[in-house]
Amino acid sequence: MKLKIEAAGQLTSGIRKFTLAPVDGAVLPRAGAGSHVVLEIPGPNRVWKNAYSITSAADALAYEIMVRRVEKSRGGSAWLHEHAKVGDVLEVYPPQNLFAPQRKAKRHLLLSAGIGITPFLSYLKLPGLAYEMHHCCKPEDETAFRTLLPSGPEATLHTSRNTLNLEALLKRQKLDTHLSVCGPESFMDVVLATAAHVGWPAAKVHKESFGGATGGEPFVAHLKRSGVKVNVGREESLLDAMEAAGLTPPCLCRGGACGECKLTVLDGVPAHHDHYLSETERAANNAIMICVSRAKTPELVLDF
Amino acid sequence: MSKNRPVYEPFALEPSGRAHLVVTSLDAPPEGIEDSFDNIEVWTVKHNGPGVPVLAAGGVRPFRSTTELLAQLGHRLGRETAGLRFYAIGSEAFIWDAYNIGIVAGLHPSEISLHRAGPLVRRVYCSHCRTMIEGVPVNIVSCPSCEAALFVRDHFSRRLAAFMGVKVDAEVPGEIPAAEVFTS
Repeated sequence: MKLKIEAAGQLTSGIRKFTLAPVDGAVLPRAGAGSHVVLEIPGPNRVWKNAYSITSAADALAYEIMVRRVEKSRGGSAWLHEHAKVGDVLEVYPPQNLFAPQRKAKRHLLLSAGIGITPFLSYLKLPGLAYEMHHCCKPEDETAFRTLLPSGPEATLHTSRNTLNLEALLKRQKLDTHLSVCGPESFMDVVLATAAHVGWPAAKVHKESFGGATGGEPFVAHLKRSGVKVNVGREESLLDAMEAAGLTPPCLCRGGACGECKLTVLDGVPAHHDHYLSETERAANNAIMICVSRAKTPELVLDF
Repeated sequence: MSKNRPVYEPFALEPSGRAHLVVTSLDAPPEGIEDSFDNIEVWTVKHNGPGVPVLAAGGVRPFRSTTELLAQLGHRLGRETAGLRFYAIGSEAFIWDAYNIGIVAGLHPSEISLHRAGPLVRRVYCSHCRTMIEGVPVNIVSCPSCEAALFVRDHFSRRLAAFMGVKVDAEVPGEIPAAEVFTS
Protein backbone atom coordinates (compact mmCIF):
# COMPACT_ATOMS: atom_id res chain seq x y z
CA MET A 1 0.00 0.00 0.00
CA LYS A 2 1.08 3.60 -0.55
CA LEU A 3 1.64 5.72 2.56
CA LYS A 4 2.61 9.36 2.67
CA ILE A 5 5.09 10.83 5.11
CA GLU A 6 2.77 13.19 6.95
CA ALA A 7 5.27 14.37 9.54
CA ALA A 8 8.93 13.83 10.25
CA GLY A 9 11.16 15.03 13.04
CA GLN A 10 14.30 14.34 14.97
CA LEU A 11 13.79 12.56 18.32
CA THR A 12 17.48 12.32 19.21
CA SER A 13 20.57 12.99 17.14
CA GLY A 14 20.44 9.41 15.86
CA ILE A 15 16.71 8.68 15.80
CA ARG A 16 14.15 10.19 13.43
CA LYS A 17 10.36 9.91 13.87
CA PHE A 18 7.93 9.56 10.98
CA THR A 19 4.17 9.64 10.71
CA LEU A 20 2.88 7.60 7.76
CA ALA A 21 -0.68 8.29 6.66
CA PRO A 22 -2.79 6.67 3.95
CA VAL A 23 -3.02 8.41 0.61
CA ASP A 24 -6.44 9.65 -0.49
CA GLY A 25 -8.25 8.65 2.67
CA ALA A 26 -7.64 4.92 2.23
CA VAL A 27 -8.30 2.77 5.28
CA LEU A 28 -5.20 1.87 7.28
CA PRO A 29 -4.97 -1.78 8.41
CA ARG A 30 -5.15 -2.10 12.18
CA ALA A 31 -1.74 -2.68 13.74
CA GLY A 32 -1.95 -4.42 17.11
CA ALA A 33 0.58 -3.64 19.83
CA GLY A 34 3.99 -5.02 18.86
CA SER A 35 3.41 -4.88 15.08
CA HIS A 36 5.93 -3.74 12.53
CA VAL A 37 5.76 -2.59 8.93
CA VAL A 38 8.22 -3.14 6.13
CA LEU A 39 9.04 -0.02 4.10
CA GLU A 40 10.38 0.03 0.57
CA ILE A 41 13.10 2.63 0.57
CA PRO A 42 14.51 3.87 -2.73
CA GLY A 43 18.30 3.69 -2.96
CA PRO A 44 20.65 4.81 -5.71
CA ASN A 45 21.14 1.29 -7.07
CA ARG A 46 18.38 -0.75 -5.48
CA VAL A 47 15.34 -0.75 -3.23
CA TRP A 48 15.77 -1.45 0.49
CA LYS A 49 13.14 -3.25 2.52
CA ASN A 50 13.45 -2.44 6.19
CA ALA A 51 11.16 -3.38 9.08
CA TYR A 52 10.18 -0.82 11.72
CA SER A 53 8.02 -1.25 14.81
CA ILE A 54 4.83 0.77 14.87
CA THR A 55 4.82 2.99 17.93
CA SER A 56 1.28 4.36 17.58
CA ALA A 57 -1.87 2.81 19.04
CA ALA A 58 -3.68 0.00 17.23
CA ASP A 59 -6.58 2.21 16.14
CA ALA A 60 -4.52 5.27 15.18
CA LEU A 61 -5.26 6.94 11.84
CA ALA A 62 -1.58 6.94 10.88
CA TYR A 63 1.40 4.72 11.68
CA GLU A 64 4.20 6.26 13.67
CA ILE A 65 7.66 4.74 13.40
CA MET A 66 11.13 5.61 14.64
CA VAL A 67 14.25 5.03 12.61
CA ARG A 68 17.70 4.80 14.08
CA ARG A 69 20.52 5.81 11.81
CA VAL A 70 22.64 2.68 11.63
CA GLU A 71 26.38 3.37 11.74
CA LYS A 72 27.26 1.17 8.81
CA SER A 73 23.87 1.58 7.24
CA ARG A 74 22.88 -0.85 4.53
CA GLY A 75 21.28 2.16 2.97
CA GLY A 76 17.69 2.26 4.19
CA SER A 77 18.10 4.15 7.43
CA ALA A 78 20.57 6.59 5.85
CA TRP A 79 18.02 7.51 3.16
CA LEU A 80 15.26 7.97 5.74
CA HIS A 81 17.55 10.27 7.75
CA GLU A 82 19.02 12.27 4.89
CA HIS A 83 16.51 12.34 2.07
CA ALA A 84 13.02 11.43 3.27
CA LYS A 85 10.79 14.49 3.55
CA VAL A 86 7.18 15.30 4.36
CA GLY A 87 4.99 14.53 1.36
CA ASP A 88 7.07 11.62 0.06
CA VAL A 89 5.02 8.54 -0.74
CA LEU A 90 6.47 5.14 0.13
CA GLU A 91 5.43 1.58 -0.63
CA VAL A 92 4.64 -0.04 2.72
CA TYR A 93 3.76 -3.68 3.32
CA PRO A 94 0.79 -4.28 5.67
CA PRO A 95 1.72 -4.69 9.34
CA GLN A 96 2.83 -8.03 10.77
CA ASN A 97 3.02 -8.86 14.44
CA LEU A 98 5.81 -11.07 15.76
CA PHE A 99 5.99 -9.43 19.17
CA ALA A 100 2.43 -9.20 20.46
CA PRO A 101 2.01 -8.77 24.23
CA GLN A 102 1.84 -12.13 25.99
CA ARG A 103 -1.82 -12.90 26.52
CA LYS A 104 -1.22 -15.25 29.42
CA ALA A 105 0.78 -12.72 31.40
CA LYS A 106 -1.09 -10.85 34.10
CA ARG A 107 1.85 -8.50 34.44
CA HIS A 108 4.56 -7.46 32.00
CA LEU A 109 8.13 -6.60 32.74
CA LEU A 110 9.37 -4.60 29.75
CA LEU A 111 13.10 -4.02 29.36
CA SER A 112 14.51 -2.03 26.47
CA ALA A 113 17.58 -0.14 25.40
CA GLY A 114 18.02 2.54 22.75
CA ILE A 115 15.80 2.08 19.69
CA GLY A 116 14.48 -1.11 21.37
CA ILE A 117 11.90 1.10 23.05
CA THR A 118 9.77 1.18 19.88
CA PRO A 119 7.64 -1.97 20.17
CA PHE A 120 6.89 -1.15 23.80
CA LEU A 121 5.58 2.30 22.93
CA SER A 122 2.59 0.58 21.35
CA TYR A 123 2.25 -1.72 24.39
CA LEU A 124 2.01 1.33 26.65
CA LYS A 125 -0.98 2.55 24.66
CA LEU A 126 -3.00 -0.57 25.54
CA PRO A 127 -5.67 0.30 28.09
CA GLY A 128 -5.19 -1.31 31.48
CA LEU A 129 -1.90 -3.07 30.76
CA ALA A 130 -0.20 -3.99 34.07
CA TYR A 131 3.48 -3.41 33.50
CA GLU A 132 6.79 -2.28 34.84
CA MET A 133 9.16 -0.83 32.27
CA HIS A 134 12.85 -0.02 32.39
CA HIS A 135 14.50 1.71 29.48
CA CYS A 136 18.25 2.25 29.11
CA CYS A 137 19.63 5.05 26.96
CA LYS A 138 22.60 7.33 26.55
CA PRO A 139 22.62 10.33 28.94
CA GLU A 140 22.29 12.80 26.05
CA ASP A 141 19.09 11.07 24.88
CA GLU A 142 17.41 11.05 28.28
CA THR A 143 15.25 14.14 27.74
CA ALA A 144 13.98 12.87 24.40
CA PHE A 145 13.05 9.42 25.71
CA ARG A 146 11.44 10.96 28.79
CA THR A 147 8.83 12.56 26.52
CA LEU A 148 7.83 9.12 25.23
CA LEU A 149 7.19 7.50 28.59
CA PRO A 150 4.44 8.02 31.14
CA SER A 151 5.49 9.99 34.19
CA GLY A 152 4.29 7.42 36.76
CA PRO A 153 6.41 4.95 38.73
CA GLU A 154 5.74 2.14 36.23
CA ALA A 155 8.35 3.40 33.75
CA THR A 156 11.95 4.16 34.70
CA LEU A 157 14.75 5.56 32.54
CA HIS A 158 18.33 4.50 33.13
CA THR A 159 21.25 6.39 31.65
CA SER A 160 23.84 4.12 33.18
CA ARG A 161 23.97 0.36 33.61
CA ASN A 162 24.67 0.94 37.31
CA THR A 163 21.21 2.22 38.17
CA LEU A 164 19.50 -0.88 36.83
CA ASN A 165 20.04 -3.85 39.14
CA LEU A 166 18.86 -6.52 36.73
CA GLU A 167 19.28 -9.45 39.05
CA ALA A 168 17.29 -7.85 41.89
CA LEU A 169 14.62 -6.68 39.45
CA LEU A 170 14.19 -10.13 37.92
CA LYS A 171 14.21 -11.86 41.31
CA ARG A 172 11.37 -9.81 42.73
CA GLN A 173 8.87 -10.39 39.88
CA LYS A 174 5.67 -12.29 40.68
CA LEU A 175 4.95 -15.67 39.10
CA ASP A 176 2.28 -14.20 36.82
CA THR A 177 4.76 -11.86 35.11
CA HIS A 178 6.30 -12.35 31.67
CA LEU A 179 9.50 -10.63 30.62
CA SER A 180 9.79 -8.96 27.21
CA VAL A 181 13.06 -7.46 26.06
CA CYS A 182 14.08 -5.43 23.04
CA GLY A 183 17.31 -3.64 22.23
CA PRO A 184 20.82 -4.22 20.96
CA GLU A 185 21.95 -7.83 20.90
CA SER A 186 24.47 -7.28 23.72
CA PHE A 187 21.75 -5.81 25.96
CA MET A 188 19.38 -8.69 25.27
CA ASP A 189 22.14 -11.22 25.89
CA VAL A 190 22.78 -9.78 29.35
CA VAL A 191 19.08 -9.70 30.22
CA LEU A 192 18.48 -13.26 29.00
CA ALA A 193 21.53 -14.63 30.79
CA THR A 194 20.56 -12.93 34.05
CA ALA A 195 16.98 -14.17 33.77
CA ALA A 196 18.14 -17.75 33.24
CA HIS A 197 20.60 -17.40 36.10
CA VAL A 198 17.88 -16.46 38.60
CA GLY A 199 15.59 -19.22 37.40
CA TRP A 200 13.27 -17.64 34.83
CA PRO A 201 11.92 -20.33 32.48
CA ALA A 202 12.55 -19.67 28.78
CA ALA A 203 8.79 -19.77 28.16
CA LYS A 204 8.26 -16.53 30.10
CA VAL A 205 11.07 -14.62 28.40
CA HIS A 206 10.34 -13.00 25.04
CA LYS A 207 12.63 -10.97 22.84
CA GLU A 208 12.19 -8.85 19.76
CA SER A 209 15.02 -9.20 17.31
CA PHE A 210 15.55 -7.04 14.28
CA GLY A 211 18.42 -5.73 12.30
CA GLY A 212 20.47 -8.88 12.12
CA ALA A 213 21.36 -8.25 8.48
CA THR A 214 24.72 -6.59 8.93
CA GLY A 215 26.42 -7.50 5.68
CA GLY A 216 29.71 -9.35 5.45
CA GLU A 217 31.96 -11.15 3.01
CA PRO A 218 30.47 -11.53 -0.48
CA PHE A 219 29.47 -15.01 -1.60
CA VAL A 220 27.59 -16.81 -4.35
CA ALA A 221 24.21 -18.40 -3.78
CA HIS A 222 23.49 -21.21 -6.21
CA LEU A 223 19.71 -21.70 -6.32
CA LYS A 224 19.47 -25.19 -7.66
CA ARG A 225 15.83 -25.54 -8.63
CA SER A 226 15.72 -22.05 -10.16
CA GLY A 227 19.00 -22.76 -11.97
CA VAL A 228 20.35 -19.34 -10.99
CA LYS A 229 23.56 -18.19 -9.37
CA VAL A 230 23.22 -14.95 -7.41
CA ASN A 231 26.12 -12.82 -6.22
CA VAL A 232 25.50 -11.59 -2.69
CA GLY A 233 27.49 -8.39 -2.14
CA ARG A 234 29.12 -7.10 1.00
CA GLU A 235 26.30 -4.69 1.81
CA GLU A 236 23.24 -6.69 0.89
CA SER A 237 21.43 -9.67 2.38
CA LEU A 238 20.92 -12.98 0.60
CA LEU A 239 17.18 -12.27 0.53
CA ASP A 240 17.73 -8.82 -1.02
CA ALA A 241 20.10 -10.28 -3.61
CA MET A 242 17.62 -13.00 -4.56
CA GLU A 243 14.82 -10.46 -4.91
CA ALA A 244 17.05 -8.21 -6.99
CA ALA A 245 17.61 -11.20 -9.29
CA GLY A 246 13.86 -11.44 -9.83
CA LEU A 247 13.22 -14.36 -7.51
CA THR A 248 10.43 -14.34 -4.92
CA PRO A 249 11.60 -16.39 -1.96
CA PRO A 250 9.30 -16.61 1.09
CA CYS A 251 9.86 -13.92 3.70
CA LEU A 252 8.02 -12.01 6.37
CA CYS A 253 9.93 -10.17 9.08
CA ARG A 254 13.23 -9.69 7.24
CA GLY A 255 14.93 -9.70 10.63
CA GLY A 256 15.71 -13.34 11.34
CA ALA A 257 12.87 -13.77 13.78
CA CYS A 258 9.84 -15.33 12.13
CA GLY A 259 11.11 -18.44 10.37
CA GLU A 260 9.20 -17.79 7.15
CA CYS A 261 12.23 -17.56 4.85
CA LYS A 262 13.92 -20.81 5.89
CA LEU A 263 15.55 -22.58 2.96
CA THR A 264 17.28 -25.95 2.77
CA VAL A 265 21.06 -25.86 2.32
CA LEU A 266 22.31 -28.53 -0.10
CA ASP A 267 25.98 -27.63 0.00
CA GLY A 268 28.25 -25.08 1.64
CA VAL A 269 28.27 -23.83 5.22
CA PRO A 270 25.88 -21.07 6.34
CA ALA A 271 26.89 -18.34 8.80
CA HIS A 272 23.81 -18.12 11.01
CA HIS A 273 22.74 -14.68 12.23
CA ASP A 274 19.07 -15.43 12.92
CA HIS A 275 17.10 -15.85 16.13
CA TYR A 276 14.90 -18.64 14.84
CA LEU A 277 16.89 -21.85 14.37
CA SER A 278 17.74 -23.91 17.44
CA GLU A 279 21.34 -24.73 18.34
CA THR A 280 20.83 -28.23 16.96
CA GLU A 281 19.44 -26.92 13.67
CA ARG A 282 22.33 -24.47 13.37
CA ALA A 283 24.88 -27.19 13.97
CA ALA A 284 23.27 -29.40 11.33
CA ASN A 285 24.08 -26.71 8.70
CA ASN A 286 21.24 -27.83 6.46
CA ALA A 287 18.92 -24.84 6.84
CA ILE A 288 19.37 -21.09 6.50
CA MET A 289 17.25 -18.02 7.23
CA ILE A 290 18.02 -16.07 4.09
CA CYS A 291 16.99 -12.65 5.41
CA VAL A 292 19.93 -12.28 7.81
CA SER A 293 22.28 -15.24 7.47
CA ARG A 294 25.22 -15.46 5.12
CA ALA A 295 27.88 -17.99 4.12
CA LYS A 296 31.15 -19.18 5.58
CA THR A 297 32.06 -20.81 2.28
CA PRO A 298 32.45 -18.96 -1.05
CA GLU A 299 29.34 -20.69 -2.36
CA LEU A 300 26.08 -21.91 -0.88
CA VAL A 301 23.84 -24.32 -2.77
CA LEU A 302 20.18 -23.84 -1.77
CA ASP A 303 17.05 -25.80 -2.56
CA PHE A 304 15.06 -23.04 -4.23
CA MET B 1 -4.56 -46.71 27.09
CA SER B 2 -6.22 -43.64 25.65
CA LYS B 3 -4.09 -40.87 24.22
CA ASN B 4 -5.23 -38.21 26.62
CA ARG B 5 -3.80 -39.94 29.69
CA PRO B 6 -0.93 -37.79 30.94
CA VAL B 7 2.49 -39.39 31.11
CA TYR B 8 4.59 -38.70 34.20
CA GLU B 9 8.36 -38.60 34.50
CA PRO B 10 10.12 -39.93 37.59
CA PHE B 11 10.45 -37.29 40.33
CA ALA B 12 13.56 -35.13 40.07
CA LEU B 13 14.28 -31.62 41.28
CA GLU B 14 14.97 -29.10 38.53
CA PRO B 15 18.40 -27.49 39.08
CA SER B 16 17.48 -24.39 37.02
CA GLY B 17 15.14 -23.27 39.83
CA ARG B 18 16.10 -20.78 42.52
CA ALA B 19 13.53 -22.13 45.00
CA HIS B 20 11.49 -25.31 45.14
CA LEU B 21 8.04 -26.02 46.53
CA VAL B 22 7.02 -29.68 46.68
CA VAL B 23 3.45 -30.56 47.62
CA THR B 24 2.31 -34.14 48.15
CA SER B 25 -0.94 -35.81 49.11
CA LEU B 26 1.14 -38.46 50.87
CA ASP B 27 2.37 -38.17 54.45
CA ALA B 28 6.02 -38.04 53.48
CA PRO B 29 8.01 -36.63 50.55
CA PRO B 30 10.43 -38.73 48.51
CA GLU B 31 13.34 -39.67 50.73
CA GLY B 32 16.21 -37.24 51.05
CA ILE B 33 14.78 -34.34 49.02
CA GLU B 34 14.84 -31.89 51.94
CA ASP B 35 18.61 -32.05 51.95
CA SER B 36 19.09 -31.99 48.19
CA PHE B 37 18.72 -28.22 47.64
CA ASP B 38 19.10 -25.18 49.87
CA ASN B 39 15.87 -23.45 49.13
CA ILE B 40 13.27 -26.19 49.33
CA GLU B 41 9.97 -26.46 51.14
CA VAL B 42 7.77 -29.54 51.31
CA TRP B 43 4.06 -29.67 52.04
CA THR B 44 2.66 -33.04 53.12
CA VAL B 45 -0.67 -34.37 54.36
CA LYS B 46 -0.78 -36.06 57.78
CA HIS B 47 -4.36 -36.98 58.61
CA ASN B 48 -5.18 -36.21 62.22
CA GLY B 49 -1.76 -34.62 62.46
CA PRO B 50 -0.78 -31.64 64.59
CA GLY B 51 -3.31 -29.47 62.83
CA VAL B 52 -1.60 -26.10 62.77
CA PRO B 53 0.74 -26.26 59.83
CA VAL B 54 3.89 -24.43 60.84
CA LEU B 55 7.20 -24.41 59.08
CA ALA B 56 8.96 -27.28 60.77
CA ALA B 57 12.68 -28.00 60.82
CA GLY B 58 13.80 -29.20 57.40
CA GLY B 59 11.11 -27.20 55.71
CA VAL B 60 8.42 -29.90 55.89
CA ARG B 61 4.96 -28.53 56.57
CA PRO B 62 2.22 -31.07 57.41
CA PHE B 63 -1.41 -30.27 56.58
CA ARG B 64 -4.41 -32.12 57.96
CA SER B 65 -5.92 -32.81 54.55
CA THR B 66 -5.37 -32.25 50.85
CA THR B 67 -8.30 -29.81 51.05
CA GLU B 68 -6.44 -27.68 53.58
CA LEU B 69 -3.21 -27.91 51.62
CA LEU B 70 -4.79 -26.90 48.31
CA ALA B 71 -6.71 -24.07 50.00
CA GLN B 72 -3.41 -22.56 51.15
CA LEU B 73 -1.56 -23.16 47.92
CA GLY B 74 -3.02 -20.30 45.86
CA HIS B 75 -2.22 -17.76 48.59
CA ARG B 76 1.29 -19.06 48.87
CA LEU B 77 1.98 -19.01 45.13
CA GLY B 78 0.57 -15.48 44.96
CA ARG B 79 3.44 -14.35 47.17
CA GLU B 80 6.14 -16.28 45.32
CA THR B 81 8.57 -14.73 42.86
CA ALA B 82 10.11 -15.79 39.55
CA GLY B 83 12.55 -18.67 39.73
CA LEU B 84 10.31 -21.02 41.72
CA ARG B 85 9.89 -24.61 40.58
CA PHE B 86 6.70 -26.30 41.69
CA TYR B 87 6.24 -30.06 42.11
CA ALA B 88 3.15 -32.09 43.00
CA ILE B 89 3.30 -35.73 44.00
CA GLY B 90 0.29 -37.94 44.70
CA SER B 91 -3.00 -39.10 43.23
CA GLU B 92 -3.88 -37.95 39.74
CA ALA B 93 -6.75 -35.83 41.09
CA PHE B 94 -4.51 -34.11 43.64
CA ILE B 95 -1.62 -33.35 41.30
CA TRP B 96 -3.88 -31.87 38.62
CA ASP B 97 -5.76 -29.79 41.21
CA ALA B 98 -2.36 -28.49 42.29
CA TYR B 99 -1.39 -27.93 38.64
CA ASN B 100 -4.51 -25.89 37.96
CA ILE B 101 -3.91 -23.73 41.04
CA GLY B 102 -0.35 -23.21 39.82
CA ILE B 103 -1.51 -22.11 36.36
CA VAL B 104 -4.01 -19.64 37.84
CA ALA B 105 -1.17 -18.25 39.98
CA GLY B 106 0.79 -17.60 36.78
CA LEU B 107 3.15 -20.56 36.63
CA HIS B 108 4.01 -21.82 33.16
CA PRO B 109 3.72 -25.59 32.58
CA SER B 110 7.51 -25.71 32.26
CA GLU B 111 7.79 -24.54 35.88
CA ILE B 112 5.56 -27.36 37.14
CA SER B 113 6.29 -31.06 37.38
CA LEU B 114 3.77 -33.70 38.32
CA HIS B 115 4.42 -37.17 39.67
CA ARG B 116 1.93 -39.84 40.42
CA ALA B 117 2.22 -41.79 43.66
CA GLY B 118 0.01 -43.62 46.16
CA PRO B 119 -3.07 -45.81 45.61
CA LEU B 120 -4.46 -46.20 42.06
CA VAL B 121 -7.75 -44.48 42.72
CA ARG B 122 -9.55 -42.06 40.44
CA ARG B 123 -11.75 -39.02 40.81
CA VAL B 124 -14.77 -39.65 38.62
CA TYR B 125 -16.99 -37.00 37.06
CA CYS B 126 -20.60 -38.04 36.62
CA SER B 127 -21.37 -36.69 33.17
CA HIS B 128 -25.13 -36.90 33.90
CA CYS B 129 -25.33 -34.78 37.06
CA ARG B 130 -21.82 -33.26 37.34
CA THR B 131 -21.05 -34.82 40.71
CA MET B 132 -17.40 -35.56 41.53
CA ILE B 133 -16.80 -38.94 43.15
CA GLU B 134 -13.46 -39.20 44.96
CA GLY B 135 -11.18 -42.19 45.48
CA VAL B 136 -12.80 -44.65 43.09
CA PRO B 137 -10.73 -47.92 42.81
CA VAL B 138 -12.95 -49.80 40.29
CA ASN B 139 -14.20 -49.00 36.79
CA ILE B 140 -17.90 -49.29 37.72
CA VAL B 141 -19.27 -46.97 40.39
CA SER B 142 -22.66 -45.72 41.47
CA CYS B 143 -23.13 -41.94 41.45
CA PRO B 144 -24.07 -40.90 45.00
CA SER B 145 -26.08 -37.94 43.71
CA CYS B 146 -28.13 -39.17 40.74
CA GLU B 147 -27.70 -42.90 41.44
CA ALA B 148 -26.66 -43.68 37.90
CA ALA B 149 -24.43 -46.75 37.56
CA LEU B 150 -21.35 -45.29 35.89
CA PHE B 151 -18.65 -46.84 33.76
CA VAL B 152 -15.33 -45.03 34.31
CA ARG B 153 -13.83 -44.31 30.91
CA ASP B 154 -10.12 -44.02 30.34
CA HIS B 155 -10.73 -40.38 29.52
CA PHE B 156 -9.02 -37.89 31.81
CA SER B 157 -9.91 -34.20 32.03
CA ARG B 158 -6.96 -32.10 33.17
CA ARG B 159 -9.26 -29.17 33.82
CA LEU B 160 -11.47 -31.18 36.18
CA ALA B 161 -8.64 -33.46 37.31
CA ALA B 162 -11.16 -36.28 36.89
CA PHE B 163 -12.07 -39.26 34.74
CA MET B 164 -15.31 -39.32 32.81
CA GLY B 165 -18.10 -41.52 34.19
CA VAL B 166 -20.92 -42.41 31.80
CA LYS B 167 -24.02 -44.57 32.35
CA VAL B 168 -22.70 -48.12 32.36
CA ASP B 169 -24.82 -49.39 29.47
CA ALA B 170 -24.82 -46.17 27.45
CA GLU B 171 -23.49 -47.84 24.29
CA VAL B 172 -25.77 -50.88 24.25
CA PRO B 173 -28.68 -50.77 26.75
CA GLY B 174 -28.58 -53.71 29.15
CA GLU B 175 -24.99 -54.65 28.29
CA ILE B 176 -22.83 -54.28 31.38
CA PRO B 177 -19.06 -54.71 31.17
CA ALA B 178 -17.14 -56.66 33.79
CA ALA B 179 -15.92 -54.67 36.78
CA GLU B 180 -12.15 -54.26 36.95
CA VAL B 181 -9.82 -52.76 39.53
CA PHE B 182 -7.66 -49.98 38.06
CA THR B 183 -4.14 -51.01 37.19
CA SER B 184 -3.05 -47.64 35.85
